[in-house]
Amino acid sequence: MKRQLEPNDLMLNSQRRANRAIFSAVAAGFVMLAVAAGAVVWAFERSQDYSELVTHTVEVEAAVANLNRLNERIEAARRGYLLESDPRFLETFDETAVEIPVQISRIADLTSDNPDQVKRITRFRALTDRYLSLLKDSIADKQAGGTGVTAASLLDEEDIIIVQELRKLSDEMGLAERRLLIAREASQRTSVLISTVTAAISALLLVLVAFGTIWATRRTLRALTATGLELQSLNEDLESAVTARTAELQRANAEIQRFAYIVSHDLRSPLVNVMGFTAELDAAIKPLSELIDKVEEQAPGLVTEETRYAVREDLPEAIGFIRTSTEKMDRLINAILRLSREGRRVLSPGAVDMNTLAGEVVDSLQHRIDENGVTVETEPLPTVVTDRLAVEQILSNLVENALKYLAPDRPGRITIRGRKNLGRVLIEVEDNGRGIDPRDHERIFDLFRRSGSQDQPGEGIGLAHVRALAYRLGGTISCESALGEGATFRLSLPTALAPQQGANT
Amino acid sequence: MSQHQTVNIVMIEDDEGHARLIEKNIRRAGVNNPIRHFLEGTAALKHLFDAPDGPAKNGPALVLLDLNLPDMSGIDILQRMKADNSPLKRTPVVVLTTTDDKVEIERCYDLGANVYITKPVNYETFAQAIRQLGLFLSVIQVPDPDMD
Repeated sequence: MKRQLEPNDLMLNSQRRANRAIFSAVAAGFVMLAVAAGAVVWAFERSQDYSELVTHTVEVEAAVANLNRLNERIEAARRGYLLESDPRFLETFDETAVEIPVQISRIADLTSDNPDQVKRITRFRALTDRYLSLLKDSIADKQAGGTGVTAASLLDEEDIIIVQELRKLSDEMGLAERRLLIAREASQRTSVLISTVTAAISALLLVLVAFGTIWATRRTLRALTATGLELQSLNEDLESAVTARTAELQRANAEIQRFAYIVSHDLRSPLVNVMGFTAELDAAIKPLSELIDKVEEQAPGLVTEETRYAVREDLPEAIGFIRTSTEKMDRLINAILRLSREGRRVLSPGAVDMNTLAGEVVDSLQHRIDENGVTVETEPLPTVVTDRLAVEQILSNLVENALKYLAPDRPGRITIRGRKNLGRVLIEVEDNGRGIDPRDHERIFDLFRRSGSQDQPGEGIGLAHVRALAYRLGGTISCESALGEGATFRLSLPTALAPQQGANT
Repeated sequence: MSQHQTVNIVMIEDDEGHARLIEKNIRRAGVNNPIRHFLEGTAALKHLFDAPDGPAKNGPALVLLDLNLPDMSGIDILQRMKADNSPLKRTPVVVLTTTDDKVEIERCYDLGANVYITKPVNYETFAQAIRQLGLFLSVIQVPDPDMD
């Protein structure tokens, strides 16, 4: 048995390992999938960030360009007014002078996150303020009746420097944004590359895992099929082994029964002699005793006390003991003979209505049931395909036992019940009698063994007979009981007994 | 029984005790015919067929036959006696044995046994059975053997 288990264990182990590998591979595959999805999401977010940044840069550039345009326009308006004193130029100048700080504030807002740009815009704002006040001064000079040209030309020196500086600053700002964008683009490219590579590696691993899993699953399936086939053949082997073993057991059983038959048979012969000659001896006591009587009467001196005692006491006593012993031996031999004969009987299975059978058993014992004031209750019983005579003997023995071992302090109650259970039929005989010590539950089924106080006649054969019959019917018998608490005998039989092929004598 | 010759009883029984008890009880039934006892088959066959004072050569006989013999089965003796060309085929054979096997009983009657009795284990029954057999023996007619 052990040798058979080892390869099985190995196989199980390798199977378990394979299962674990497949499981981890599938889990790894899912992790890969999650990683790839994460990478894609990350890359998408990065590109979205990037487009936002591009928009931002373009916006800043556009704002800067706009500011430059406004600066040029205000300059143009001032020059126009200084030259022609047309109030329309003044109008444009005023409008633009309002717009410029607004535009600067917008740029400041857009670039508030960049300290360099903030520094530049602050400077820009200061320069613009100065520039605007210079321009406003020249306008005011013109309005006051001056030529304005002088003022303008006087101012030109500073004006040009400021304008140059403003232009430089705005260029710088644009450039800074552009540089930033380029740097961001590079990092964006790197991140996209990283995510692409991650996704690609994940996809590759996924494919590998998929192939590996498919391969492993196929291998496991193949192993499973092989195991199934092996199991089937083992099963078949087992069946044939069981058949062979059963045949062997039946042969051994038949041999034991033959042996029991021969032994009991051969024991009878000498027993006939022992009993026969004991009877002859017994018969011989009568004339002897008469002789003693006569001698005592006619010549009392001839009879010693010893002779009288031998003939009147010793001989009858010895003969009595020989008698009871041989009678007991005779009963035992007969029991063995009966058991072995029962074992040699060919069973003839047929459908047995257990209700009818139980009724018959109870009827046959009705006299004793009434005598002892016992109540017998029979619950509905299933039908069994088995040997009728054997089941009848079993049930009869069990009910008889229940009747025999009543508890003296309460009225007897016997219940016969039965049910079908997993392809077998259970028949129970329950009583409320004196019960059986749990230590004796096995022993009571042995030949010539009894339990409890030996106040009832019997040789300890009934239950041995019951068990032998139960085994022959392919069944088992068990006992459940405690001292003083009644007993339940449970007979388990196959629902259908296979017909026998012949007598196993 | 035969008017001229007394019927000899041939008892083939391997157990001396049984033989003695059988004889005693037959005598108690008032049967006084001579009884020849054999413990084994070979000697019994020799007496039956060849002895000058045996049944085949000399006068009618009745055979009490036990089946369990040390050297052969009583069935062999029965077969020899009841064979077609046997001078003893009409000689009554009472099979007296411990076996109560159905097959064995049938076989003995098939072979021509006249009576089959199972020895009861209980002595009283045994003694009674033998006494009844004795009574039976005292009234049955036994033919003379074929001596042609």
